[in-house]
Amino acid sequence: MEERLLSLQEAVSRYVHDGDVVAVGGVGRNRSPMALVREIVRQGKKDLHIVGREKGMDFDMLIGAGCVRKVSFALVSLEEFGLAMNFRRKAQAGDIELDEHACNSVITSIRAAAMGLPFLPVKGMFGSDVFRVSKSLTEITCPFTGERLAAVRAIKPDVTIIHAHQADKFGNVRIQGSPFEDALKARAADRTIVTVEEIIEHEEIRANPHLTTIPYIYVTAVVHVPQGAWPASCDGYYESDREHVQEYASSTKTPEGFQEYLEKYVYSGRS
Amino acid sequence: MADYSVAELMTVCLAKEIRDGERVLQGLYSPMPMIACLLAKNFYAPNMVFINTADTIDPQPREVPFSTAGPALQENAVAYIPLYQTFDLAQQGKLDLIFLGAAQVDKYGNTNLSVIGPFESPKVRLPAGAASAHLCAIMDTVIWVPRHNARVLVEKVDFITGQGYLTGGDAREKAGIPKGGPRKVVTNLCIMDFEPESKAMRLVSTHPGVTIEEVKENTGFDLIIPEKVETTEPPTPQELEFIREIDPKKVRELEFH
Repeated sequence: MEERLLSLQEAVSRYVHDGDVVAVGGVGRNRSPMALVREIVRQGKKDLHIVGREKGMDFDMLIGAGCVRKVSFALVSLEEFGLAMNFRRKAQAGDIELDEHACNSVITSIRAAAMGLPFLPVKGMFGSDVFRVSKSLTEITCPFTGERLAAVRAIKPDVTIIHAHQADKFGNVRIQGSPFEDALKARAADRTIVTVEEIIEHEEIRANPHLTTIPYIYVTAVVHVPQGAWPASCDGYYESDREHVQEYASSTKTPEGFQEYLEKYVYSGRS
Repeated sequence: MADYSVAELMTVCLAKEIRDGERVLQGLYSPMPMIACLLAKNFYAPNMVFINTADTIDPQPREVPFSTAGPALQENAVAYIPLYQTFDLAQQGKLDLIFLGAAQVDKYGNTNLSVIGPFESPKVRLPAGAASAHLCAIMDTVIWVPRHNARVLVEKVDFITGQGYLTGGDAREKAGIPKGGPRKVVTNLCIMDFEPESKAMRLVSTHPGVTIEEVKENTGFDLIIPEKVETTEPPTPQELEFIREIDPKKVRELEFH
């Protein structure tokens, strides 16, 4: 096992490249890898294809900062704080390519990649315009039963970014609450960067292997970033910072407001 | 003046749509359905299974969170279940009901959360439908609408994100999605269902103080009005007490601000 501890700056500059397919962990504003998102914005990464199920500020910030070429998603929203305005503006202007999915079809596209397959079938989808307009979904017939199914094209992440609770320096990661599909995203990707609240001793991992949710074989870099999900929540550590999300929502009403937000909270160097 | 809010009334209406023993999924940004699931399990459907976007089974939070995937939905749960495993259940026919929000709902219960205007050049790009396009095709749904007006309740949605009864009648069967469909639509004005033959939306009950005329004026299509229209039962003091106790910060009111 190699030690995989890096700084935020090193991890992103080494392992996130312009044009990459980037799978992003967390759901809504829960355990979103916000420190990694801010570092990607600071380093001005370009032409990313971001992939996730139900996303919020993380996707909206990457899109607004001009890092994104394509979005594979089932929802981008700030929940009770309203529409994700950067997402909305760039989508309406045609500045980003939208690969709209249902939750299960976008998860299945990652599941296929994790299984080393080019596609997987899902039920449902027929009759929805999401299916009709999609370039990632097509109808197939089961060769055994004749059942009509939707085939979902695999999405292979070049890199997955996750915020988790604990890891050792070798990258044995513990997610201690809601799993979401973060482990799946790590298993599907060529590289995975994980920020964690705490670095724990390797012996502790060895003593409790059943608590390891992402073993080191799937992990490229570990970064110690307490509060690394802020302003999203990290279960067991902190709740989401609603006041800040409200500030984000208000500031993103205009592109100028969003630039001011970036100056204040991202470019100024807060991790 | 009623001693309850419309959010409280709607929450109770949603809870009563859950049948005992059903497995129910509550999604993201679903404040009233989240509280409705907890209410149902405590009042009318003790054997229902509550699955949610925090990826847990049967949590018992002391206080509900603002984000409906928030950490509080892990308290006293029996297990974690990653959402894709809940979808596996759905594909086996072992998930019974989801609650669905929408920007537009049409007379056949199709829902739009994707775009206003054409898909390629939308007037308004909406958040998208989360699980809808998958789950609405294979299981039952209940749709909730906090603002019942003619811009939301429309003749035809701009884009079908979640499948209702499509063009009505046997359109679902023809499209290859025979199972499931919307059971009810619960709004701030009334409860509606779908007429069994045509699958067009039909008024069931108006909420206390709301007239049939008011519902018709605020609906953008010809709603079927049956001979007998009930008045929705108001929440009981016990139901209100439960809701207010688990939701002291009024998460249930978020969609009415």
